[in-house]
Amino acid sequence: MQARSTDLGRRAAVLAVGTVIFLLVVLPVFRLGYVVWTEGSTQLDEVLGRPGLGEAVLNTVLLAVAVTVTAVPLGTLVALGLRRADVPGRGWWRFAMLLPVLVPQFVLGYSWTQAYGRAGFTDTILGLVWPSVLGPWGVWAVLVVNTVPLTYLFVAVGLATRAEPNLERAARASGGDPASVLRHVTLPLLRPSIAAASVLSFVLTMESFAIPQVMGTPAGFTTVTTTIYRDLSLGSDPLSFVEALTLALLLVALTVLVVIPADLWLGPRLRVTRVANPEGAPIVTPRGAAGRWIAAGLGGYLLLGVVLPLIALVTAAITPAVGVSPSPGNWTLDNFRFVVNARNAEALGRSALLAFAAAGLLTVLGGAVAVLERRRAGRVMASLVTVTLVLPGSTLAVALLITYGRWIGGTLTLILLAYLAKLWAFAHRPISGALDRLAAGEMQAARASGAKALTAVRTVALRPLAPALLGAWLICFVTALHEVTMSSLLYGPDSDTLAVVVLNSKELGRIGATAALSVLLTLVMLLPALPLWVLIRRLQSPRHPRAGGARSLAHAR
Amino acid sequence: MPGPGFSCHGRWRLLTLLPLTLLPLGCGAGSGGGEGEEITLYTCVSDETIQPIISGFESDNDGSEVKLFRAPTGDLNARVAGDVRSGGLKADVIWGCDPLTMQGYVDQDLVGGWSPEGAADIPEQFRTDDYVGVAVLYMVAVYQDGAPAPSSWSDLAGTDYDSVAVSDPNVAASALGALGYFSQEPDYGLDFYSTLEEQGAQQVGTPDEVTAGVAQGAYDAGITIANSAYLAKDSGSPIDIVWPEPGAIAIYGPIALATDSADSTLAKDFISYVVSEAGQQVVAEAGSYPTLPGVEGPEIPADAPVVYPDWPKIDATKDSLLSDYQQIFGG
Repeated sequence: MQARSTDLGRRAAVLAVGTVIFLLVVLPVFRLGYVVWTEGSTQLDEVLGRPGLGEAVLNTVLLAVAVTVTAVPLGTLVALGLRRADVPGRGWWRFAMLLPVLVPQFVLGYSWTQAYGRAGFTDTILGLVWPSVLGPWGVWAVLVVNTVPLTYLFVAVGLATRAEPNLERAARASGGDPASVLRHVTLPLLRPSIAAASVLSFVLTMESFAIPQVMGTPAGFTTVTTTIYRDLSLGSDPLSFVEALTLALLLVALTVLVVIPADLWLGPRLRVTRVANPEGAPIVTPRGAAGRWIAAGLGGYLLLGVVLPLIALVTAAITPAVGVSPSPGNWTLDNFRFVVNARNAEALGRSALLAFAAAGLLTVLGGAVAVLERRRAGRVMASLVTVTLVLPGSTLAVALLITYGRWIGGTLTLILLAYLAKLWAFAHRPISGALDRLAAGEMQAARASGAKALTAVRTVALRPLAPALLGAWLICFVTALHEVTMSSLLYGPDSDTLAVVVLNSKELGRIGATAALSVLLTLVMLLPALPLWVLIRRLQSPRHPRAGGARSLAHAR
Repeated sequence: MPGPGFSCHGRWRLLTLLPLTLLPLGCGAGSGGGEGEEITLYTCVSDETIQPIISGFESDNDGSEVKLFRAPTGDLNARVAGDVRSGGLKADVIWGCDPLTMQGYVDQDLVGGWSPEGAADIPEQFRTDDYVGVAVLYMVAVYQDGAPAPSSWSDLAGTDYDSVAVSDPNVAASALGALGYFSQEPDYGLDFYSTLEEQGAQQVGTPDEVTAGVAQGAYDAGITIANSAYLAKDSGSPIDIVWPEPGAIAIYGPIALATDSADSTLAKDFISYVVSEAGQQVVAEAGSYPTLPGVEGPEIPADAPVVYPDWPKIDATKDSLLSDYQQIFGG
């Protein structure tokens, strides 16, 4: 009787999540395809055969591969390095690794050109210029810097939820050296997390726009997303609009070609079945030079990747105009005064509310897909929610506008739907990578002992998954708060968000004001870190019997 | 078996309530605003210009409300295209930033067919039967303090400048207007761009990026819009501005009535207000160049030469023009 009820429950869950996927992913993408088919099918050859498109596609794929093969190993190395207790200031480095994510992407490219370009920060101070900062190498470098924290977070969450200290200890006791323990025990356990990080890194690079546009276009380096942007810029001509949609669907096709086979073939093979929850204290490494080298490497990475560009950004924010010497005599707060006003504060409030709601809902939706994808009926769900991630924000916004605009156009609800559609994979992948930690037997034992389904989930599943859930929430919150493209296209009267403020500032050509806004945004992003920190400390407190969860959270932050 | 720490019930309740907290905002956003009539305006004009215009109109028309969607041209195009495919254009009035975009809307029968009485006072080169120009952008030359001042556009392609910045005509309509103008001028043509490129010119995205690049010292000179250059110079950036021979290139921003709003008196009143002397005065005070003769706008040097692109011709040759340009600057 109970088995039948459970089966019905699973079917209902598949149906419910499937319906949401249909409404947020399948229907909007279908509507895009329908527009392309009905309005542009006769020109399809012309669109796909246009000069330069092949190069843009090649650039996009090569860039995605190059960023992935660099950022994933780097993120993994950082996560493994920060697992060592002998790294001086380990807690600080774990926090600092997430700093690049806190810098809005729409200013990251600009701040790099300010830092390393001609007449930039290093040129002015040291006479050092990186000529390739504008072009494919610059785009690659900034995307890697921006992606490493994400891959680090995924692997750190994987380590927090999947590592088996006792197994590693046993391997070491059996004569295995650190390298072989890493190769034969730790890395195999991390494979789902690394795979999740790789898929997201690939897809995010494919859909990246701001950085290729700012740093690649001046050097003639185009990608599919920059080509779409051009089509939309000249898109009062319906054919240009249809061309933009066609290219967006091309991105979807490229992603489907990579992600669906990976999910269907690799997913089940990478998973590990647990018979019980892992216990055991973390491995303590003796203090040595290695820890200091790791700290020095991280310091160099953060200095070049984040600190110098941020200094350039702050410098732009406190000088009255571009080209004015940033000496203390010229410092001013005028740019901050310009952006701090009641209207902008209201917009920020709306954005924060949206981001908060989206992150919460996405964590639930991501968890649901992570659970359901383990069954045949739900296997394709993971791939489907990745489809909308790769759609450039502008085209996804158009897809939702076409699908739901007549009923909820110009409302915050439509913007929320856009966030859910865009970021679902962001929430799903880290949770999916951590789900193997759950031993199926424990849930069954809880139910057999009389616990109701929700109680079983809360007491057995939530705590060990807390690092992954917090990580997913954090990524979704930060990304939603920084999102500009979709909300600037979907907002309506009385529903303007932070995106509108950013665009207003950029459109006015006030670089100092845009820089000031970015500095303020980065500071605002630090605010949620405080309650998270309190939460983590609370879960770490000795009152909690499950040390595993607390230990895990330390890795995830 | 309650877990320690925070309450699970509270957490679930919070998650359940979050979407509900958004609904009032969402519904409110779409609902009417008061007892008076309202119109919706779509525009790409800067917030600094459009807000005073709306305030001026609303104070002259008590109880009326102008609902605004403001975005760069690309987003504006996408929004319009989305509207058209989901029940129809939601705007009553569109105020664009260049004639090409507006002509595209006219060709789709989304706007046009009506002009305010005051349009007759606007110079002919800034209007058609379907829309009327209410603001102008002037493409000028900007150069670093200390660098030689270009007296004509062709000077920029000379050896005085190691690097010149130009904006992308695929992205900025003002740059497309300049490309169209130069391509039609016998003394320039696309060879002008080829020579610029051979001399080390770089293409950036928008005119603002040109201004910033020159101000920062990354480029010796550039082609940008006058508003952007004067704003930077007035803020203290070490640059200067020239209206080169044969003239600064004028790109006008037109306003038009949506065809579905042909019966809306308030929409027509709004357009009439922007075209009127009072509206043009507000445009000028907000920092944009008005089109109505006699209304003084931002700085224009005495006897500054101005030229006007042949927009219909640019519209007809746009694709081949951009394709040829792409051969020069890539991308």
